[in-house]
Amino acid sequence: MAERLFHAEPAEALRIVPLDDFTLVFHRPSGLTHLVTAPAPEILAILAGGPRTRDALLQRLAEAYDLADPSPEALDARLAELVAAGLVRAA
Amino acid sequence: MSEQDETPPAEGTTRRRALMLGAVGASAIVSIRPALAQTNASVINCEIPVPDAGRAGSYIAADGSVVPAGTPGAFPPATFAFKGEDVKTALGGGQLPGTTYEQSQAYVKYIRRLQSGTSGFTCFASLQMPRG
Repeated sequence: MAERLFHAEPAEALRIVPLDDFTLVFHRPSGLTHLVTAPAPEILAILAGGPRTRDALLQRLAEAYDLADPSPEALDARLAELVAAGLVRAA
Repeated sequence: MSEQDETPPAEGTTRRRALMLGAVGASAIVSIRPALAQTNASVINCEIPVPDAGRAGSYIAADGSVVPAGTPGAFPPATFAFKGEDVKTALGGGQLPGTTYEQSQAYVKYIRRLQSGTSGFTCFASLQMPRG
């Protein structure tokens, strides 16, 4: 399960607009707009650089940010939301 | 001793902003479907339970807060979820169906306090959107 690779949607499929406390993500293929909060934009930004496993993603997040709760379970929950929203694919 | 401020990166290090992966009980994503954003029909058909399923059975105080069942002066939960259309009418000064005046006022205050991640929030948020 930890070996699954998570892919971001291609950059041209997304229009990302950071607002004050939220980030708007327009997904062109579906026409859906997603209002996301941290850590979703940070996860999308890292995955935009290439697919990663959950563990590799967690490691990268921990390098880039001061993680208050470096929990694999919490990251799984956030990834599941992104997959359900259609912004990330798991393979 | 503040560590979470976005201080400029020190030499040889990257900026490390504080980040929480797991906000308890809160989803990081609210999705807005085009149909909900653009058509009256979807707004009219969406529903707002009072209170939300996570607090089913709790009473609603006159100020809209959720209080334990049986609290004196508070109102019992609504027996059915309100339709977006009914809520829109109530937000404009009308009364929710099947409620007394005071009960409707308390429920409307509850609905106005809905937060992201609570069931009914997306419906309430869509009622606030201006229509072209």
